[in-house]
Amino acid sequence: MAGVATWLREPNPTSRWQARAGQGYLSWLRFCRNPLAMIGLAITVLLVLMSLFAPLLAPHDPIAQDLTHRFIPPGTPGNWLGTDDFGRDIWSRILFGSRITLYIVVLVILTAPVVGLIIGTVAGYFGGWIDQVLMRITDIFLAFPKLILALALVAVLGPGIENAVLAIALTSWPPYARVARAETLTVRNSDYIAAVRLQGAGAARIIWGHIMPMCLPSVIIRVTLDMAGVILIAAGLGFLGLGVQPPLPEWGMMISSGRKFLFDQWWVATMPGLAIFIVSLGFNLLGDGLRDVLDPRSAGR
Amino acid sequence: MIEIDNLSVIFHANHRLVRAVEGVSLSIAARESFGLVGESGSGKSTILRAVCGLAPITGGQIRIAGEPVLTPRGRAFSRRVQMVFQDPYASLHPRHTIDRVLSEPLAIHGIGDTDRKVMRALEDVGLPTSFRFRYPHQLSGGQRQRVAIARALMLEPAVLLLDEPTSALDASVQAETLNLLSRLREERGLTFLMVSHDLAVIDHMCDRILVMQHGRAVEELDRADLVNVTMKTDYARSLFNASADRML
Repeated sequence: MAGVATWLREPNPTSRWQARAGQGYLSWLRFCRNPLAMIGLAITVLLVLMSLFAPLLAPHDPIAQDLTHRFIPPGTPGNWLGTDDFGRDIWSRILFGSRITLYIVVLVILTAPVVGLIIGTVAGYFGGWIDQVLMRITDIFLAFPKLILALALVAVLGPGIENAVLAIALTSWPPYARVARAETLTVRNSDYIAAVRLQGAGAARIIWGHIMPMCLPSVIIRVTLDMAGVILIAAGLGFLGLGVQPPLPEWGMMISSGRKFLFDQWWVATMPGLAIFIVSLGFNLLGDGLRDVLDPRSAGR
Repeated sequence: MIEIDNLSVIFHANHRLVRAVEGVSLSIAARESFGLVGESGSGKSTILRAVCGLAPITGGQIRIAGEPVLTPRGRAFSRRVQMVFQDPYASLHPRHTIDRVLSEPLAIHGIGDTDRKVMRALEDVGLPTSFRFRYPHQLSGGQRQRVAIARALMLEPAVLLLDEPTSALDASVQAETLNLLSRLREERGLTFLMVSHDLAVIDHMCDRILVMQHGRAVEELDRADLVNVTMKTDYARSLFNASADRML
């Protein structure tokens, strides 16, 4: 263990890989100093573990209905979080619902920030009419409220989890393009970009190898802070019946179905609500912690 | 090696014309070291930037080895002319290792044998090869400037443009860096075009000097003029007097 730490702390790394691992290790140490960020990370890791091992952890089938056990209140042995209007165990549904939430989150992470990053850096680097065209398109997307645009898209494409992801991704890339462009504008006239341009590098190499690494931290921070929003939009679409379709256990849809019994059987809507709240909080705390670690202005100390 | 004819550079800023350089001509022989001196805003750095394509050429012509430069400059130009920037804290990519900084020009030009060339480049500028995988923030200012010099020499150019290469460094490191540059010029037969506001630095490095003020050439001096203090213009004399005590 001590050997690994010295290897990571080596001031004169002997390979590219060791240098990168060493930097990562220092960032990790800085991240560990922030207790709230660690809580956020713990919640996120827990979410991943929960969704991975949902079949092992869930005491009941999340879809099987049992009308003789409707509305069992929380605290009952066997159904610790209670059951809903069809007698389905809420804890099991939340566990399986975390898979859907994570699936949506991961798909959105893999699409929206990538699109935003490419559009933002290209616009910022080239400037002129390319910048004008790309940024006006971005403005148009920004002008719509996210949920309304997602609703319109789902209405056109039809409800379903893939279409919900597509709608969320299409509505959430513009802020990343904005962030990436702003970051690009601050670095494009720097001496190190001038130096690599002077060495004969083409635009693709400069954008990919030199500008994107500088934009990446702000985009990653933005992504983790937006994850809560993505979960909420997915839940919102589910709540309106336009996202995941029943009987799949999706948290937003679970709240929606529990709304009818909110006063007498409060737990049906409250439990998935708490799940959304905790996971959103976890992503926000994680994002705050990452900002402290990744911010280029504080990094490198 | 470098000929500049009647060069002007005009920038458009906020609907105003800024004449950064007006009608400057100079001619630098191969293996010569030429200095541009002047106060801030005299247009000396703009001339360097115009040569390497970072500032537009509004009027006049720049020729390298007899050929007019192309816009954009192109790869052949990169292999002939390289530049060392003023601030070593800003001229190295903060997220690239020294290894990446030095091997990038080789990758761009499809030159192989990267490992050996990077190691030799580090040795040539007097840095330990164990620094190869460090990041810029793990080096001092002087060490960073050595990396920047090594990077400029990776493509084995004939001409090196030096934009106040030592003004961001403290005095003792300044002398080391200047000595390194002189040694490299001798070993490789480089042509230097150097900019400085400090006549003492220029005096240490250059065979001939052009004094500039407000974007225009004031007077061209050679070594003998500096030694004998035979400037024709008052401005060159005042510039000389300001740094005379440090030149001996």
